[in-house]
Amino acid sequence: MTRRQQYVAGAKAGAPVIFGFLPVAIAFAIAAAQAGMPAGETIGMSAFVFAGASQMMAVSMLMQGAGAGTIIFATFILNLRHLMMSTCIFHRMKGGPLPARLLVAFGITDESFALFMTQPEQHNSIWFFFGLISVTWSSWVGGTAIGAAVSGLLPPLLAASLGIALYAMFVVLLVPHVQHNRKLGLLAIATGLCNLLLSQLIAPSWALIVSTLVCAAIGAFWIEPNPTEEEPT
Amino acid sequence: MSTQTLLLIAGMMLVTYLPRALPAAFLEKIRPGARAKRFLEMIPYTAMAALIFPGILSADPQRWYVGLLGGGMAAVLAAKKVPVALCVLGAVGVVLVCNLLLPA
Repeated sequence: MTRRQQYVAGAKAGAPVIFGFLPVAIAFAIAAAQAGMPAGETIGMSAFVFAGASQMMAVSMLMQGAGAGTIIFATFILNLRHLMMSTCIFHRMKGGPLPARLLVAFGITDESFALFMTQPEQHNSIWFFFGLISVTWSSWVGGTAIGAAVSGLLPPLLAASLGIALYAMFVVLLVPHVQHNRKLGLLAIATGLCNLLLSQLIAPSWALIVSTLVCAAIGAFWIEPNPTEEEPT
Repeated sequence: MSTQTLLLIAGMMLVTYLPRALPAAFLEKIRPGARAKRFLEMIPYTAMAALIFPGILSADPQRWYVGLLGGGMAAVLAAKKVPVALCVLGAVGVVLVCNLLLPA
């Protein structure tokens, strides 16, 4: 595949994220408006931070009167999970000069990670990932701009029903892999339960990281490599 | 834009970008062994599972089972090889119907 074809294929693969990001971005813009943030700052935060959960958290902390230092530290902890996702992405991604890799690293989110890691082998290029994050970044920033402009116009019933979209996308990406691999399915269930238990004991952002890493370590010893998935090294 | 907010956005951007970029800069110099490779290959599945559960229970702030119904619909459609976007719309549809029929 040429670079252009890779880019277009990546952009197409990112399409489902538009459904997921638009409502969340609109919800974020509405919350930011309620916290007294001007539209320009709200859109700027989406464009430069590009991490939905931490932006939502920042807005609610601002409303509670938290200082910038506290919010930045909380953001660091919440987004530390990108370290393990980035490690997986760059382990899989073939080639690309360092400046290009540093550029596309900005586009790593839960969603671009999940989509990229579940693609067939021929899609593991930097150009595919670049196409993918072009779509996810644009829908996040575009959704924020729409939300800042029309906050309050979306029917509340529809807005409330869109909260499921991102979860549904993760389910859809996970199902084909666990469907025919019973051990992987059990590992996924165990991870969810582990996360539920841990999030009662420690902060949910840490619970996510710990349960992901611990259960992946268990899986590395317990689940045999699938011969058809084996990458040529 | 106020200086205070500018600093906040710049700080959030920096601490979010660093974990994203570090592996891009250093990973090529590391050759993971077979077991470490298996560990990295498992992370996407466990990460997705942890992103789904228990967060999906609060997809509807009042009723935990609405998220499960929507997720169940997405899982059934995905198992039948329906395209991703349609599965997501199916899940949204289930939640919309729940909200119409069973007002919280």
